[in-house]
Amino acid sequence: MSETAQTAGAPAPVAVRRPPLWRRLIGFNLLTAVLLGIGGWYLGWWLGHQVSGASIAYFSDTDQNDIALFLGYFTAVVGFLIGMGFLQYPIARLRGYPPSLREKETEGIGRYFGLCTDHKVVGIQYLFGVGLFFFIAGLNAMLIRFELLRPTPVFNSGNYLTLVGLHGTMMMGMMTSAVLGPFANYFVPIMIGARRMAFPRIESLTFWLLMAAGGILMTTVFFGGFPTGWTGYAPLGNQANYGMDSYIMFFALVGISMCLLGLNMLATVITMRAPGMTWDRLPIFVWGVISTSILNLLAPPVLVAALSMSLLDRTAQTTYYLQSGGGSQYLYQNLFWFFGHPEVYILALPGFGILLELLPVFSRKPLWGYRLAVAGMMGVTLLSFLVWQHHLFVSGINANLRPFYMLSTELISIPTGLTFLCGLLTIWRGSIRFTVPMLFALAWFFNFLIGGISGVFNSDTPSDTTEHGSFFVMAHFHYTIMGGLIFTFFAAIYYWLPKMTGLQLNERLGKIHFWIMFLAFNSTFLPLFAVGFLGQPRRVVTYASNLQFLNDWVSVSAFVLGLSMLVFLYNLVYSLLFARIRAERNPWGSLSIEWQLPSPVPVQNFDTIPVFQNDPYGYGDGAGPVTRPVGIPARGR
Amino acid sequence: MVAIWLVVSVIVTPIFALVLGPLIPPGNDSVQGMGQVFDNQVLMGVSAPIMCFVLVVLAYSLIVFRQREPAAEGLPIRGDHQLQVYWLIVTTAIVLGLAAFGTYELVKDGAGGGQGPSPAFVPAHHNTAMPVQVIGQQWEFTYRYPTFGGIEIPHLYLPANTLIKLHVTSLDVIHSFWAINLGVKADANPGTDNIAYVETRNPAKIEVRCAELCGLWHGYMFDLQGRVVSKAAFGPLMKQQEKIYGPVSKFLPPFATTYSPEPTLRAG
Amino acid sequence: MAELVREGGVSYEIVEQEHPRVLSRNLSAASHLLASATAMFFLAFFFAYFYLRSLNSNGLWHPHGVKPSMTLGTLATVAWVLGAVVLWLGVRDRRAERRTEWRTKGAIALALGIVAIVLQVVEWFVADFGPADGGYASVYFGWTAYIALFGVGAIYWLETTLAISVRYRKSATTSPPAGHASGDPHRSGHDIADPLSLVPATLEAVSFFWSYFAALVVIAWVVLYLL
Repeated sequence: MSETAQTAGAPAPVAVRRPPLWRRLIGFNLLTAVLLGIGGWYLGWWLGHQVSGASIAYFSDTDQNDIALFLGYFTAVVGFLIGMGFLQYPIARLRGYPPSLREKETEGIGRYFGLCTDHKVVGIQYLFGVGLFFFIAGLNAMLIRFELLRPTPVFNSGNYLTLVGLHGTMMMGMMTSAVLGPFANYFVPIMIGARRMAFPRIESLTFWLLMAAGGILMTTVFFGGFPTGWTGYAPLGNQANYGMDSYIMFFALVGISMCLLGLNMLATVITMRAPGMTWDRLPIFVWGVISTSILNLLAPPVLVAALSMSLLDRTAQTTYYLQSGGGSQYLYQNLFWFFGHPEVYILALPGFGILLELLPVFSRKPLWGYRLAVAGMMGVTLLSFLVWQHHLFVSGINANLRPFYMLSTELISIPTGLTFLCGLLTIWRGSIRFTVPMLFALAWFFNFLIGGISGVFNSDTPSDTTEHGSFFVMAHFHYTIMGGLIFTFFAAIYYWLPKMTGLQLNERLGKIHFWIMFLAFNSTFLPLFAVGFLGQPRRVVTYASNLQFLNDWVSVSAFVLGLSMLVFLYNLVYSLLFARIRAERNPWGSLSIEWQLPSPVPVQNFDTIPVFQNDPYGYGDGAGPVTRPVGIPARGR
Repeated sequence: MVAIWLVVSVIVTPIFALVLGPLIPPGNDSVQGMGQVFDNQVLMGVSAPIMCFVLVVLAYSLIVFRQREPAAEGLPIRGDHQLQVYWLIVTTAIVLGLAAFGTYELVKDGAGGGQGPSPAFVPAHHNTAMPVQVIGQQWEFTYRYPTFGGIEIPHLYLPANTLIKLHVTSLDVIHSFWAINLGVKADANPGTDNIAYVETRNPAKIEVRCAELCGLWHGYMFDLQGRVVSKAAFGPLMKQQEKIYGPVSKFLPPFATTYSPEPTLRAG
Repeated sequence: MAELVREGGVSYEIVEQEHPRVLSRNLSAASHLLASATAMFFLAFFFAYFYLRSLNSNGLWHPHGVKPSMTLGTLATVAWVLGAVVLWLGVRDRRAERRTEWRTKGAIALALGIVAIVLQVVEWFVADFGPADGGYASVYFGWTAYIALFGVGAIYWLETTLAISVRYRKSATTSPPAGHASGDPHRSGHDIADPLSLVPATLEAVSFFWSYFAALVVIAWVVLYLL
């Protein structure tokens, strides 16, 4: 911030004498939060042993006291939030002080390690936080592929299942916020001409809850891991060791975080749009965020409820999911997939938004069929609540509804097809520039095409009989999620990081990253369709020896895919820490408003709230930038 | 462009539908499996031109419409109402057609999937089907033959050219009974009788794997020794099995569609 | 406009608040969105009830003798609904600028909420069955527990609204004294001009949420006690 102000020739901000480091470490920050979190855990753990003792047979039989562990996790989260400083405000409100807003520590690196209500700081926090867990989960994937180099086991079976579970759960839990966290938090307020989100404190809370959740999930290794994969099916989840509790706590916290994130985004877009920002001038990325946020708001509460039933089953001895006690494991499957299917669109829809946002910029052409694209994303949103039983095609629940779920699932290809249509016709007769973000966006077409077509096979009940629970399904959802979300995630990083940091990323390294990643990705997951058809179920530690060649091929490709991530990391470190080449204000020639502001965007975004006159897609027709006059950036004058 | 697409589709579609399609498992060891192969062939045949369309348009655009001089702008086209309507009609027609076809294939004989205690989609003459119970437990499948004295044996033996009614159930957590080359998959749930129909054809080996994560040794829950044997050989084979497993099977609870398990007991 | 303030070695940017009109709209939107999310949460229990009831696994859906106290359950439900009604009357008073009246009604609603939670807890303790007694018992304990939990949230929200209007009851039209701005006595500046500017919107929002929540409680009562 101060740097920008100085380069822009503004008077230097008030000189503040920095206190010594030890003094700055005391207070509400990450260090305090972690310490209080650990302390809180021990408190809850001790308390749990006091209240439950040996009252429940298997607690004493197995020395696994779930009540103590859950209480420990709960108090750890509370301690963490206290340490972060989240409880000051609610307590002040309880005592009757008015709502206030202050942006803490607007300079220095310290603001990235604490509660910060600046949406741009939260965006960068999210980028690195989610990125960290993406790399941990990716490392798990490498280990999984290492195991599958040989048909006979390398790892201990329980450890392998924990690896699989950690990879799946972390990816599905943390990457839900991969786009909404960093990019929507950073750019949605700017794009709609606002200075901040509707609820800046909740915005920060969503991030730190997610980080607390991630930490809790990692502690599962101290409690024996969990054997259920990311789905956490009952009754295996009821039977599992108490490492399962970390899974439940993790996903419940992630669910709360997702729900609050969606609520905040929706409230922001509904109420904080600048004058002239009508619904049909919203950048298409914002529409992607809206549709995702609707799912984020409505689907995770069901997950949290389902997991709290799991929690009650494991602690209070209820029998929600136990057939033998008047419950049903199908209840969990229904509730979980009622959340779980919208969840996968929570992962896919932001990708649609980024794709359609980037294509006009790099083909110098307006977005084709704006309303159709919006209708497509909204159609996916609505339909995604009606398809969940396609995950239960062979589960043994009443089969009468299968034709309906087959139909509703296949209907989703209509709105998805609209995204293809709008995307393809946006580049049609354009003037296409093959920049790094554009390459990643274009890869979406290929990846999501294969993902979508294989999805039609999955939705077709007869064909799904063989595919269900096999590597075919695994390949399918990696094509849609990794091919659809992660590729556009990287497109967004290469596209927007110059704006977020004010520094250029190396283009050559970016292209190397893209080509290795694209080729290795397809080389990894295309053979897995065959592996699935040939009879390899998911999450196995051993497999048929005749599949070794294919599995080895996949493993080697996966290692190359992992290598491409190292290229990216190298690019990031090199460009941001060593090369430090300042990015132009608008390197891509975009008409969208965020590119009219300085890089990085100053605190408060605008001094004067801009008045919008066009949508940001007036390429080629001389409609010019989105606002007239262009919103004046804050303090960058 | 349309011509390129037509040429590519005409080449690719038969390859997909007629060459690749039949290669897709489960193969021809059961009627249900054959149905799935046919289903996959049709899906391949329909999806091939669509994939060709997207890829041809994409490739064509990337080659022809790349930026040739700096700062060149594209054409300001913002939409085409007619094209939108045609696109919607075509995609809807394809989707409805596929759903109708899938429904037909499913309703015909259940397509080998588990359908719960009261199957809705049954093959013809299902009343004459031979019942076989599949019991999943951590971590193996066993098979019970109510028509052969209720014996329980560790490998699946089926007679050829016979309609089989598989009752799949579990004693602990959820498993998924997957007889890969028969094209059968049915989740094994505690307390639930999940019925799947399969009509065997020629003698063959049966590869059985568990397709639902069921705990520690899930990866080892497979059996490669099951067989479909000719009708003539099936009787003697079962007699021999009865001799081996009959004495132990006497100690089992009487045959029932479900058994009462206690899944909360923690294992390892 | 942004100004930089230094306190205890840390510099803060005191930022311009959004206009109270925008913040009011935020609150209104948030209360509707929160209500939708809450409904989805309880939908899971609603579904669980009917699903487990229709399956009646092992005949253990509803063993004989598993019956929560009708009196206490009904009283708790009535307390929630009555709270919603009183709060809504309070909102009407507030719209008519009758300050004391709406505060009284708000306090009554608050008390009713607390009574409802106490009744719920008493009901759990007098019940002669436990959570392990079959499907119905599971759903009953889970559903009522989460109603109580969400109720605590609604009560907290109402309490903050009441607390601020009570604290600034005398200075309704003037700015708060310096240092009162954020509940932080060390603060020198104030970042909100009128501490009461958001009370109307908050009250409307909390009343909406409470009414919606009361409707969810009534549904739960019908399902758990009457069916």
